[in-house]
Amino acid sequence: MQNFSIGLSGLNAASSALEVIGNNIANASTAGYHRQRVELTPTTYGRMAQNAVGAGVDIAGVTRLIDKLLEAEIMQQGSSYEQISQELSILTAVETTFGEFAEGSGLNATIDAFFDSLRGLAAHPLERVWRNDVVSCAEVMCSEFRRMGASLSNLEDQVVLEAKNTGESINSLIKQIAELNGKIQVIEISQGQANNLRDHRDQLIVELAKLASVETTDREHGIVDVSMGGLPIVTGAITVEIQVGLRDDGSLGVSAGNSNGYGITVQGGRLGGLMSLKNELLQGIATDLDHLAQEIVASVNQIHVQGLGVSGSFTELSGGTLDATSLVGKDARVKDGTFYIRVTNTATGEINRYEIDVNASGASPDTSQTIAAKINAIPGLNASILSSRLHIVADLGYKFDFVPAVMSEPTAVAFTGSSPPTVTLSGIYKGDQNDTFTFTVVGTGTVGNGNLRLDVTDGNGDLVSTVNIGGGYAAGDVIELFNGIQISISTGNLNAGDFFQTLGLASSDTSGFLAAAGMNTFFSGDSAGKMQLVDSIAGTPDRIATAYGADLTDNIAALRLAAVRDQGLDGLTGMTPSEYYHRIVANIGQQVDLRESRQSNVEAMIQNLENRRSEISDVNINDEAAQLMIFEKMFQAVAKYLTTLQSIMNTLMGMV
Amino acid sequence: MSGSLTSIYSSISYALSLHGKSILQLQEQAASGNRVNRGSDSPSDAYRILGLNSQERSLQSYQENVKELIGNLEISSTIIGDMSTELASSLTLLTQIVGGVHDDAGQKRIADKLNNSLEQLVSLANTKHASQYLFGGNDTSIAPYVVQREGGKIVSVTYQGSYASRYVDVAPGLQIESYHVGDEVFRANYRQTPLFLGSSGVTAGTGTSTVQGDVWMTVEHDGTNYRISIDDGATFVTVPAEGSTNLAVTDSRTGRVLYVDTTGITGTGTELVRVPGTYNVFSTLISLRDLLQNERGLNTQELLNYVDECVAAVEEVRHLLVQKEVSTGSKIGFLSTLSKNLEDMEFDTKDETTRLQEADISQIAIDLSRREVLYQMSLSVAGKLMSMSLLDFIS
Repeated sequence: MQNFSIGLSGLNAASSALEVIGNNIANASTAGYHRQRVELTPTTYGRMAQNAVGAGVDIAGVTRLIDKLLEAEIMQQGSSYEQISQELSILTAVETTFGEFAEGSGLNATIDAFFDSLRGLAAHPLERVWRNDVVSCAEVMCSEFRRMGASLSNLEDQVVLEAKNTGESINSLIKQIAELNGKIQVIEISQGQANNLRDHRDQLIVELAKLASVETTDREHGIVDVSMGGLPIVTGAITVEIQVGLRDDGSLGVSAGNSNGYGITVQGGRLGGLMSLKNELLQGIATDLDHLAQEIVASVNQIHVQGLGVSGSFTELSGGTLDATSLVGKDARVKDGTFYIRVTNTATGEINRYEIDVNASGASPDTSQTIAAKINAIPGLNASILSSRLHIVADLGYKFDFVPAVMSEPTAVAFTGSSPPTVTLSGIYKGDQNDTFTFTVVGTGTVGNGNLRLDVTDGNGDLVSTVNIGGGYAAGDVIELFNGIQISISTGNLNAGDFFQTLGLASSDTSGFLAAAGMNTFFSGDSAGKMQLVDSIAGTPDRIATAYGADLTDNIAALRLAAVRDQGLDGLTGMTPSEYYHRIVANIGQQVDLRESRQSNVEAMIQNLENRRSEISDVNINDEAAQLMIFEKMFQAVAKYLTTLQSIMNTLMGMV
Repeated sequence: MSGSLTSIYSSISYALSLHGKSILQLQEQAASGNRVNRGSDSPSDAYRILGLNSQERSLQSYQENVKELIGNLEISSTIIGDMSTELASSLTLLTQIVGGVHDDAGQKRIADKLNNSLEQLVSLANTKHASQYLFGGNDTSIAPYVVQREGGKIVSVTYQGSYASRYVDVAPGLQIESYHVGDEVFRANYRQTPLFLGSSGVTAGTGTSTVQGDVWMTVEHDGTNYRISIDDGATFVTVPAEGSTNLAVTDSRTGRVLYVDTTGITGTGTELVRVPGTYNVFSTLISLRDLLQNERGLNTQELLNYVDECVAAVEEVRHLLVQKEVSTGSKIGFLSTLSKNLEDMEFDTKDETTRLQEADISQIAIDLSRREVLYQMSLSVAGKLMSMSLLDFIS
């Protein structure tokens, strides 16, 4: 009766094959489905006389047509693609935030407009309309900085939130993967085939890989272990959940299994993209923008604190908040140095200049309180710290300022003649460094007569100029030295060796304290998001410092403020503010362009890989239809064979 | 390639996505007219374009300053020219006086004319343009010249403006004076040895005097010594008996000093002392007006001699104005050339920006057409592939 067994085995084989084909066709559009094939083998052959004959067909198994290496490659590229896409999405949003190249928008135009307004003010320092223009351009620029700072900050917050949500999605997926691992194991331990479950699980792993780059390890009985960044997150049916959070330094990290620290960094996938955005890309852009804002604020303030507007000297001045314990803590630009305060007695017109030393570092550094005490010791001034702010008030009948103008009287005089002349000094010192100049008389006689002259030496004792005040000089005439200091000597007698001195101030604040304390500053804020025009300037444009000279008619401060536009600043690696900003924009553009290219390349690569995979694993309807026909015919043939056997048996039975 | 439905769909959607993105980009370029609409379109060009945009704005700002400066200088030049013309007509009248054309009454009328000219010149020197005084140096908010009057008549004109110039940015690294310092325009500054026009025998001392313009020196003898005054007798300096080669005589009203050599003193009287190289426009006319009004009671010949000498003073200040007009004209010429250069630079900058940023419309049209064809072909192929299968042929 071997014949019937052979027939039955054929019917079974054909029937199973048709089932598998039906399953394939039903899942032709199922994502992640790998087509299956029945594996048929001839049954162990028997012997008939001397001849070996087969005993039918056996179903060896149903296999998935899958190329594991190809699948792994597709998964890895998919992970890269998701990371690039995530980064590209956010960077494109950043590029849109910057808004350059759109008509009439962008920080570039506002920076240029601000410095152009300063250039216009320098040409018209005494006119109100130009001061108002500076105020409005400054406010627009600050507003733009704040908007961009806030946008970047919001994007960073969104990235953190998105990263946390992605972490939750990862946890959900790994639970499902672990569950499927368990089910597959149960089936395959019992010699079963869990191809559909494997497909489902593998699809979940692909989804997981899009969220973060993972590594898989195949184990017995169909189990696949999954690890992420070296951390096992699925081991058989067991999972280790992850948490996404911020580290102490503000960067994004991952922790696993409720451990502290978020010390793990993830690569690849959306989470990898979000982490690189938060920890590097967005951080870098925000830092660059903050640097730009800080340098503009510092450079403008350093010039502005020393100048005066048309409103003149101050009777009262309040600054920004100061760190009570350390000057450097508030602003690292504060260093050892000196600042000078001029105090004017408005009744008598007498002007005195006082020097305040600032010890920013060293064994006993100054604090805001000690500086206030030093200022308070100046006759005519009262200084105190109120609500962490330096507050200076002039006594009635006094005013003060920080202008570096040359004092009208020498700082030291030693004349021995019987009727010495009066020396009047003026002008604005043009040197680079503060220096004391000594004017020593050579010769003896009356001003305007003989061979009388002045030898001018600097603080190092080097001769820098000689000035004729003898024959040929009309007493009282103004002589301008090469460094901007002007002197006028009235009629009188001088002896050889007589001298007078004056201080040439390139900067009336070499310590940076005034700017750090917010005294007569133009801007406030230490980042793009906090950059602001100080209220006193916004409310009183006459306070905009245009002059460095005593009579407030010059435009030196305004010229220097306008010149910041074209200055290479140390804090911006030698670039001008505009160049630095252009570099930021170009860098963002480069980042976006790079990722667009990489995205296209990876997308093309994935397309190629998927085409190759589809040749192996996808359901081809034409192929399945052909297989259908083959097994249909096989079934019909085997059925015919059995019918023939039946007829033979009936004939044999009829013969008995 | 596999004929599976999934792979067909995947390939088609990839192709459509590819062509779709390109079409969108081309559409954006066509709509905006720009090839670079964001930094990522071409980072290096974007960096360059931003720099050029900033440069263009900077050049426009310089241009505004230059144009305003040219306007100020043109008006200043006109004013200086008008003042020079006024002085020229005064010079003509003075020459006529010296030639004896006018009698005393005529001279008095000319004195009145000089007074009118003086008023006119002060007004011109205090000209405002666009709310700023042109001849006040740095200080453009107050009138640079203030007059002192006695009996309605100007007795002195004092410069109260700034002695410092205001510099403005007109080009990268270039600053130009924008407003004249009136004292430098209307007063000479090349002091020479004083000239003593009388017969007292007093001459210039060895020291450098500080008096300016015309000074009236009075020499008297008190019976013992000569004494000299330059402030109309308010104060006198006694001449040592042996004489002095460098005696300082001070004007108590101004503090200015005249150094005299009295070793050759021979007589007394009041005489005019001229200090060439120190005249200013206003004090010159005041001196001439007062001279012609002859309040000192000079005789006709003395008067004519002094007027003859003072013609040189008028010529000196007129020469000053002519020089200033020429130098202002030269500066205007330079600034006009600079303005033209800035315009050219601005044009070149705009041109380069356009070349970098603007889209080639004809190329866009070609690319758009090509992409549209590819897009349609992708759809067509997809339709054909997905519409055929073996199942259609199995009965």
